Amino acid sequence: MEWFIDKWQVIDSLSPFLMKGLWLTFKVSMVSIILGSILGSVLGIVKTLKWSIPRALVGGYVHLFRGTPYLVQIYIIYFVLPSLDVTWLKFDSYTAAIVSLSLYTASYVTAIVESAIRAVPRGQEEAARSCGMSKAQALYHIILPQAFKLTVPPMASIYVIVIKSTAVLSVIGISELTRQGETAILRMPGDTMFIYLLIAILYFVYCYPMLKFAGWAESKVKANGGNAVL
Amino acid sequence: MDWLVEFYNYNIVFNYIDIFAKGILNTVWISVVCLSLSIFFGIFLALMRMSKVGIVWRTAAAYIQFIRATPLLVQIYIVYYGLPTLIGNFFNEFQTGVIALTIHTTPFMAEIIRAGIQSVPVTQTEGAMAVGMSRAQAMYHIILPQAISKLISPLLGQSVILLKDTSLLSIIAVFELMGAGLLMFSETVSPSESYITTAICYLIIYLIMLVFSGFVQRRLGGTPAQV
Repeated sequence: MEWFIDKWQVIDSLSPFLMKGLWLTFKVSMVSIILGSILGSVLGIVKTLKWSIPRALVGGYVHLFRGTPYLVQIYIIYFVLPSLDVTWLKFDSYTAAIVSLSLYTASYVTAIVESAIRAVPRGQEEAARSCGMSKAQALYHIILPQAFKLTVPPMASIYVIVIKSTAVLSVIGISELTRQGETAILRMPGDTMFIYLLIAILYFVYCYPMLKFAGWAESKVKANGGNAVL
Repeated sequence: MDWLVEFYNYNIVFNYIDIFAKGILNTVWISVVCLSLSIFFGIFLALMRMSKVGIVWRTAAAYIQFIRATPLLVQIYIVYYGLPTLIGNFFNEFQTGVIALTIHTTPFMAEIIRAGIQSVPVTQTEGAMAVGMSRAQAMYHIILPQAISKLISPLLGQSVILLKDTSLLSIIAVFELMGAGLLMFSETVSPSESYITTAICYLIIYLIMLVFSGFVQRRLGGTPAQV
């Protein structure tokens, strides 16, 4: 019983502190997810077009960001880019966090959007074109609405990965959930394990619904033989 | 070429080549050990997850979901601070890192293995049993060979993720590729040389994996690896 009272006091005194961290984690991850999804969708569409040079550039970008750990990317964007002496590349830690996380998200989203567009049968585009639609019209009215449904399950899993990646931001001093926990541990070194478990539970509460949604959406897509009806 | 040397002085990097070589070697070694361990435990976890006994599959599912919904960094901290309080200072940093990464990767492996086994139609088992095989024989001779060809690409994709995840071990002072970059930074205080070299080393490993997975895919068929 004494243990519970003791731990409850820890929770009680830390909860505003940790909630502030969770709120920042939420904000940073949501902004990056939105920016990254927009950028990734555009790049994914570019990758399915027939312009070879932009396609190669986008391909290079995707490999660059998927081939290196996020930790390395954040170090490069936060420490290396400012040393280039270009004014608008001198990021503070928040901008660096948002920029790196958005680019990281976009590299995944690009691949998802590209494969979703390729998964729409060619006959759809041909039929739209033979009805007199232009290429852009066919893409906008016929291809993208069908492709969009296919992107939902993998997108949800990517968003979970992005949310989890925000924990790495603690190394550049963003006071998100993990960082707040580390600061709390400096105040209460006796409860190290308990505080880390508390942080893990908070992340779980944030990520688990998204994970469940991804699983549910995937079963929906599978049940319809790949043609999603959501 | 002056501007290049100003930004990225490769002459400094040459002094650190052996440190980076050691870093690459450690990264690959950690990945190989974790990969083997997590496939080994992943098979058991997948079988537990597919069990019909409530408490067994629920335990497995809870473990899988907890790992998938929490960041690796927090898991590493929990293992790093938790293990010594449980069993004392029995493991060094390197071993602690391997344990943390294995705990993290096993559920992902288990899900891949489970998806592979379940992708083989039930009729295959029924057919095998109809010609007189036992359940274990059907698993060994009929199901697993078909499952493995479907497992290879997601396994390679997960291996690439594992290779990248090892970088987080640098935070608990395990010396690997990222650790090599941080060591160089602390001695030379030149971010571009240290971190870009680290990134290039990771990219080289990644490209080798990419070529290898393309090769495996051509030989075995199946879907392209999602890395």
